[in-house]
Amino acid sequence: MTRNSPDPQPLLEMENVSVDFPVKGPYPFSKKRWIQAVTDVSLEVSEGETFGIVGESGCGKTTLANAMIGMVRPTAGTVRFQGVDLYALKPKAFKEARREMQMIFQDPFSSLNPRFSVYEIIREPLYIRGQASETVMKGKVRELLKLVGLDEDDMYRYPSDFSGGQRQRIGIARSIILNPRFLVCDEPVSALDVSVHAQILNLLMDIQKSRHLTYVFVSHNLAVVKNICQNMVVMYLGTIMESGSSDAIFANPLHPYTKALLSAVLDIDVTKPRDRILLEGDTPSPIDPPAGCRFWQRCPSAMKGCRIVPAELVEVEPDHQVVCHLISGLSAQQVADGLHEPVSPKSGG
Amino acid sequence: MADTVLGVRNLKVAFPCPGGVIRAVEGIDLDIHRGECAALVGESGCGKSVSAQAIMKLLNTPPAVCRVDKLWLDDLDLTHLPDRQMERIRGKHMAMIFQDAMTALNPVLTVGKQIDEIYLRHSRLSRREARQRTIEALELVEVPEARSRANSYPHQLSGGMRQRVLIALAFACVPKLIIADEPTTALDVTIQAQVLDVLKNMQLVHRVSALLITHDLSVVANMADTVYVMYAGKIVERAAMQELFLEPLHPYTHGLLASVPRISDERQPFVQIPDAVPHPMRKPAGCYFHPRCPRSNDPCRQRMPRLEGPDDGRAVRCWHPLRQPHEVRS
Repeated sequence: MTRNSPDPQPLLEMENVSVDFPVKGPYPFSKKRWIQAVTDVSLEVSEGETFGIVGESGCGKTTLANAMIGMVRPTAGTVRFQGVDLYALKPKAFKEARREMQMIFQDPFSSLNPRFSVYEIIREPLYIRGQASETVMKGKVRELLKLVGLDEDDMYRYPSDFSGGQRQRIGIARSIILNPRFLVCDEPVSALDVSVHAQILNLLMDIQKSRHLTYVFVSHNLAVVKNICQNMVVMYLGTIMESGSSDAIFANPLHPYTKALLSAVLDIDVTKPRDRILLEGDTPSPIDPPAGCRFWQRCPSAMKGCRIVPAELVEVEPDHQVVCHLISGLSAQQVADGLHEPVSPKSGG
Repeated sequence: MADTVLGVRNLKVAFPCPGGVIRAVEGIDLDIHRGECAALVGESGCGKSVSAQAIMKLLNTPPAVCRVDKLWLDDLDLTHLPDRQMERIRGKHMAMIFQDAMTALNPVLTVGKQIDEIYLRHSRLSRREARQRTIEALELVEVPEARSRANSYPHQLSGGMRQRVLIALAFACVPKLIIADEPTTALDVTIQAQVLDVLKNMQLVHRVSALLITHDLSVVANMADTVYVMYAGKIVERAAMQELFLEPLHPYTHGLLASVPRISDERQPFVQIPDAVPHPMRKPAGCYFHPRCPRSNDPCRQRMPRLEGPDDGRAVRCWHPLRQPHEVRS
């Protein structure tokens, strides 16, 4: 991926990363099968930006985010954080590197230990590293509670005393106690009430500004991504469909999947009617993903070639890349073979 | 009103708990007209699902305590109808679409069997005829290869397909009223669009009234004709859909609409409503929204306003609405 970024070295760089998970076959000795959760993904996240990963459930966005911060070892490819190959590090250095990268989880009801007090939850990362005294930790927790908009006295209460939004604030405090540079927010508001979404998102943005953090923001909510992310990727079934600056993608979506995704988002704007592109069918299983383009089965404008030939990433404009035969075009030989003829998305399989 | 399919007057639901009483629903009135889709919108814990279950008389009493002055479905008075007779109404005259299709369907029966059951229970059909109707019903909700899918178990279907099966189930007997409780919350956006389309089509084709329960304003904007906004157990605003979105009157509705990020927005901080929904056992005195409200003053802290407005049009429960309901064109 080429980008005229002012920073020559990106904070995080992924190169041809694939993550496969083994699944048990239907019978005791049947061949092992693999879920291809992420396939051949390359991307760069530069310092200080908010980078969006968008896609439907099961498209591998969480797995990709986990691979970024060392929670899932990729089956292939490299992840470089500050120029260092994360997964080649020795355990001690690996642990040190992960200090710089933290995560905010989706569900604040299951990501906080109900038997820990708020103080114990927030200090946990410091405590595990064992370098701070009790007084230092207390002071730090106090400071963070104030930063995330909670009361100092809340320190001795338990997660069950708090609402969803407050719990997410606790989760945020925990994630920044080690002063990370890189924070992965995995659907940080989707489990919360609508009226507190804005509070939490604004809090995240404020913290980013005051602490100079880099965010990777995983979400299925396109409106949120558009509003907070500078760069983004659209994923489908483990692969990147379109990537680039979010301004470019939202202004001019090129991939048929991006277009469909954008048009499927229901807007609360009642004044203007919109044409909706309705996709047929469901996301196929990532166990045996279709050959060629992974989207062809549901694509309204699929060509015969899309079924067999995987598309390459092409740069359409600065900061805007797309993986689609409709954009990159087929070779003369392929056109001669009749691969450019349209297929109806229902036929074949 | 003659045209009212579902009428509810002063519905109250409470749950006595060890530490006090949770008043989940505090006297709501609903009027749903023929062929209309009304939406009950609110955040989690505002009592919207409990209201739906109370209308269907699905709540276990005890622990719940339900009171209603009057409840009627078309020409049937349900106010004091005993359980045994409600059984004949549920499924035939009013049906419910649940949020989570995986738990709403029986995992050990094929989906075909589960739809057959409705026909066998409510009309005199043979098994073969019932199955035929089931397949037609599945085709209507655009389940591909309905004949073979009828023999699948719920776990063999995708989320979107399961939700379609639930819609087919609900519409099986062409009821007078469908209650859809968060029908698409568990689904992805592209699948949500498909399912909402199916739901809207079915509703229009059969001219069935619907009560849509959701927290998602964008779903409301695409589905509903009338909207009831609920907050902490009370209806705070009632309006036709367009009017509500163009000109909300209650500060809560206003804040809620402003805080929803839109694709058309420019990059800027999100508009936020401070604090969170009150705990159902510790609701504040006066107007329940006053601690979060930018317009609140003394009367708001002391007395709960009434839902005021013309009988069947715009109404708002607020001492200081953004505009008085009668000033707004209706």
